[in-house]
Amino acid sequence: MNIRELLNKRRIYFDGGMGTLLQQRGLTAGEKPEMWSITHPEVLTEIHLQYLNAGSNVISANTFGANCLKFTNLEQIISSALNNARRAVELFEGDKSDCFIAFDMGPTGKLLEPAGDLPFSKAVDIFAENVRLAEKYGADLIIIETMNDSYETKAAVLAAKENSDLPIFVTNVFDEKGKLMTGADSKAMIAMLEGLGVDAIGMNCSLGPRQMLPRVKEYVEYSSLPVIVNPNAGLPRSENGATVFDINADEYAEIMREIALLGASVLGGCCGTTPEYIKKTVEKTKDLPFVPAVKKDYTFVSSYTHAVEIGNEPILIGERINPTGKKRFKQALRERDIQYILSEGIAQQERGVHILDVNVGLPEIDEEEILTASVKAVQEVIDLPLQIDTVKVSAMEKAMRIYNGKPMINSVNGKKESMDAVLPLVKKYGGVVVALTIDENGIPETAEGRCAVAEKIIKECEKYGIDRKDIIVDPLAMAVSSDERSGRVTLDSVELIRKRLGVKTGLGVSNISFGLPARASVNALFLAMAFERGLNCAIMNPDSAEMMQSYYTYRALKGYDEGCLDYIGFASDVTVNTAKNTSGQKTQGSTDTLYYCIVKGLREKAYEKALELLKAEKPLEIIDSHIIPALDAVGKQFEEKTLYLPQLLMSAEAAGKAFEAVKTAINTEGTASKGEILVATVKGDIHDIGKNILKVLLENYGYKVTDLGKDVPAEVIVKVAKENNIRLIGLSALMTTTVEAMKETIELLRREFPEAKVMVGGAVLTKEYADMIGADFYAKDAMGGVRIAEELFSAKK
Amino acid sequence: MITYLTKDAALVGTDKKEACRFMGCKEPLSEALGELYEECLELYMNTADLKAVVRETSVSFINDDETVFDFGTVKSVSLRKNLDGCTRAFVFAATAGGKVDRTMKRLSLISEADGLVYSCIASSGVECWCDYINRELGKTNKLKPRFSPGYGGVSLEIQKSIFEFLDVQRKIGVSLTESLMMVPVKSVTAIIGIIDEKQ
Repeated sequence: MNIRELLNKRRIYFDGGMGTLLQQRGLTAGEKPEMWSITHPEVLTEIHLQYLNAGSNVISANTFGANCLKFTNLEQIISSALNNARRAVELFEGDKSDCFIAFDMGPTGKLLEPAGDLPFSKAVDIFAENVRLAEKYGADLIIIETMNDSYETKAAVLAAKENSDLPIFVTNVFDEKGKLMTGADSKAMIAMLEGLGVDAIGMNCSLGPRQMLPRVKEYVEYSSLPVIVNPNAGLPRSENGATVFDINADEYAEIMREIALLGASVLGGCCGTTPEYIKKTVEKTKDLPFVPAVKKDYTFVSSYTHAVEIGNEPILIGERINPTGKKRFKQALRERDIQYILSEGIAQQERGVHILDVNVGLPEIDEEEILTASVKAVQEVIDLPLQIDTVKVSAMEKAMRIYNGKPMINSVNGKKESMDAVLPLVKKYGGVVVALTIDENGIPETAEGRCAVAEKIIKECEKYGIDRKDIIVDPLAMAVSSDERSGRVTLDSVELIRKRLGVKTGLGVSNISFGLPARASVNALFLAMAFERGLNCAIMNPDSAEMMQSYYTYRALKGYDEGCLDYIGFASDVTVNTAKNTSGQKTQGSTDTLYYCIVKGLREKAYEKALELLKAEKPLEIIDSHIIPALDAVGKQFEEKTLYLPQLLMSAEAAGKAFEAVKTAINTEGTASKGEILVATVKGDIHDIGKNILKVLLENYGYKVTDLGKDVPAEVIVKVAKENNIRLIGLSALMTTTVEAMKETIELLRREFPEAKVMVGGAVLTKEYADMIGADFYAKDAMGGVRIAEELFSAKK
Repeated sequence: MITYLTKDAALVGTDKKEACRFMGCKEPLSEALGELYEECLELYMNTADLKAVVRETSVSFINDDETVFDFGTVKSVSLRKNLDGCTRAFVFAATAGGKVDRTMKRLSLISEADGLVYSCIASSGVECWCDYINRELGKTNKLKPRFSPGYGGVSLEIQKSIFEFLDVQRKIGVSLTESLMMVPVKSVTAIIGIIDEKQ
C-alpha cells in the first residue's frame, strides 16, 4: 500500500532525532552530518534500523541540510543517504511493505527576498535539484521539515510538485507564541499548504510535545489533511556542557498519546528523541482508535502572517489599488512608481479592510512584470492577504507563484475559455477563486439564470478537484440607473446562490450606483442590504466614509461587534477628525504660519496651512515666498548643525504636504522639474535609509528622482540611466565591503554612459575614498547631495 | 550547548541618548521630534521580537595576531589583544527580529523621518539587548569587553562560521546575505572573552 492510502487508514510513525545519535557515535561540532552518509554508511544504516525496530514506518534519510549551496558533491550525498536507508529496510526483519523512506528536505539556510537576498525562484531551483535526485535514488516520499519561513516552505513545495509525484509531507517550526520565525500562524500555514495540495502537514522541532498541544488543537480543528507532530524531547538545557532535553521517553509517550487522542495521525520525534522515545510512543498509541482526517469547510485566504476567514462575518476587500478612472494611479504605473501603489495599500489597511485587491492592468504597460513587482512590494510591507486581479492569465500565474500565502483570485467566469485557463492555476497554486456569473451568453437577467452559471462553474471546478469552499460567487451588481430591477436581481442572486449551492458570495458593490448622483449613499445602503441577504465579502472603497459607516453599523446591529467597541472606535475617529479640522481653521497667530509649520516639521498642519493660504495667494507665490524659504532656512540650520537630520526630514515632509495641497490648485500633475536624478544603493548593500533621505530632499527641491532601490547591480543602474538619459547619478553604500560594488558601477558608467556625473555618499565614505573610486562628487550627507544637484543643474542652465 | 534567549523588549528597554546619537541629535529634542520619538518608541516596543543564541567556545592563540576558536581562526591584532589571557569565550548572535525590518520599510514609505527615528530606536534597542545578554553572562563569569566581527580588522568572513556554530538561521531566524550582511538588519554577533579567575 502506498503511503498516501495508508494516511487515511491508520496512524503512521516517523523516526526521531538524528543529530544527537550521530554525536554519540563520534560526529564532532564542526562536521557536517550529511557527510557521514558517505564516510560512515554503516552508522547511518544502524540508526535507521534501530528506528524501524522501534516501530517507525517512515525513516528520514540523512539529507536535512543537503543542498547545492552547501555541497558540491550533492548527488553522492543524496544517493548515499538514500542507499543507507534502503539498506536498513533490507536488514529489517519485520514487514518491509510497512517501511517508507523519506527524503528529508530542510531549509536552505538563506533568508528569501525581500527580507534576505535569496530570490524565490532561486530557492525553487535549489529544492528542485534535491527533489530530482530524491526521485532518482528512490525516495518514497518527501518530508519538508523544520521550515520557519512560509515563503521558503512554498518554494520547497512547488519544487516537489513540479519535479516528482512523490507524496509531500510538510512540518513547520512554531515558537511558543504560535508563530513561525517570519510571522505566520497555524491557520496561515494550513491555508497555504492545503491550497498547494500537499498530503500531510504539521509541526516539528523547537518545542516539546507539551508546548505543541495548543498548535495541535488548531491544526486538527482547521486542517482537512492528516496532522504530523514531531516534537523535540522537551526543552533543552545544559548539563556538564552537553545539551540534554527535559522530558524522558515515558513522559514523552504519555503526551504523544494525548496528541494522538486530539486527532494527530502522524507521530514521531525531532531533536533529542531516540528510538526509545518512538518505541514508547508506538506502544502508548497503537491501540487507540484511528480517526482519519475530516474535511473542513472553512474558506481561508492568507498572507505571510495570518489567514482571513470568509464566512460568518462580513469581509471587506479594498479596491483602491486599481487604475480604472484614476489619472494619478495610471501615471504611477507608467512611471513604475511602486511606492505610490504601496501608499494606497497602507492607507486602506489603516481604514480597516481585510483583504487588498491588486489590479495594475493598463494596456501600455508590461502587466506580468508590474503585477509581480507590485505583489512582491505589497507583501513586503503589508500583511493583509491579497486578491490578485487581472484578466491576463500569464500575469495571474506569475503573481500566484510568487505570492506568499493563499491568495484570492479575481476572477474566473462561466466562459469555457476562462475556466480552461484559470482553474488549472487555482488547482496548482491554491487560492480562493472569484466566479463571475457571466458566460458566452452574457449576464443572465434573473437570479435563477445567474445561479445556473454559478453552478456550471462549480461543476467545472469539481473536475479539477477545487472544493466549493474555495469558490466565491460574484453575481455581478449592475447599474440600477440603467435597469431599475438590477439591484433586486443581484440581491436575490446572492441569497439564492448561497442557499441553493452552498457557496460563499462576493460583490463589487460600487457598480450599483453608476450613473447616479450622490453615489456614496446608494453604495452604503446597498452594502448593508447585501450583507443582510448573506453576502460574505464586498469589494469596495474604504475611503468612502458612508460605506465604512454602513459596515461598522451593520456589524454592531448584527451582534458581531462585542460591546460595540469597533463601532465606537470608528465613530470617535470620525468625530475627532472633524474637531481637528475646525480647530485648525480657527487658531491664528504669529507661530501659525506655513513657514513656521515647515520649519517646525508639523506635517499635517502644513497641509492645512497651505490650503488656507490658497484662498488668498496664488500657488506659485506660496511656493516661492513660503515653502522654499522655509526649506532653505531649515537646510541652512542643518548645515550649521543647529538642527538635526530627523528634523530636516520632518520639515521636508511638511513641505511635501504643503506642495501636495498647492498642486491640487495648480491642477497640473508633474510641473516641470529642475532636473532628473537617479539614486540607488549599490549591489550587495541592503541599507537604504541614507539614499531614501536624499530622495525626499531632492524631490522637495523640485527634482524628479528615479529610485532604483537597494542591492542594485551596476548593469541595471547604467541601463536605466542611459535609457532615460539621466545625467546625475547618486550612489549610496553603508558597508566597506560594498564600496567595491560602487567602484564597479562607476567604472561601468564611465564606459557605457560617460555623460553621467556621479555623486557618492554613505557612512563609510570620505572625500578621499570618493576620489579614489572615481566619483565626481562626494556628498557628506543628504543636504550635501542637494547642494551638488543645485550647483550642477544651475550651471547647466 | 547552544542557549536560546528571548525577552520582552519592554523589559530590555532602549537608550534614548544612544538613539539620539544615531539620529545625529542632541537632547532635548524639539517638541515635534519628541512626540515622534515617543510614537516610534511605542511602535518599536510592539514590534520588536528579541531573540538570541549563545554558545561557549575554547580560545587559544597562534602568534600575535591569530585567535583559534571552536568555530575557526580569526586574524586580528585587536581581537587577540582583547582576549589576552582567556581560554574560553562566549559567542552570541542577537536580533530584534524580522518585524522590525518590515516596520522600518513600511514607515519609511509613509515618512522617512518616522523611518529614521524608528530605525535609530531599534539600533539602540538591539544594543540594549546585547548589553542585557552581556549582564546575564557576567553574573557567573568575569568578562572582557564585547567584540563584534567587522570591527578591529576582524573580517566578516568569520560570520559564516559563527552562523554555523550557533545555528543562527534555524534558532533565531537571522541569515547572512552573499555580501555577509545580517538579515534582519537589526542584528548583532559578538565574542566576549571569559576572564579565567584562577589565573
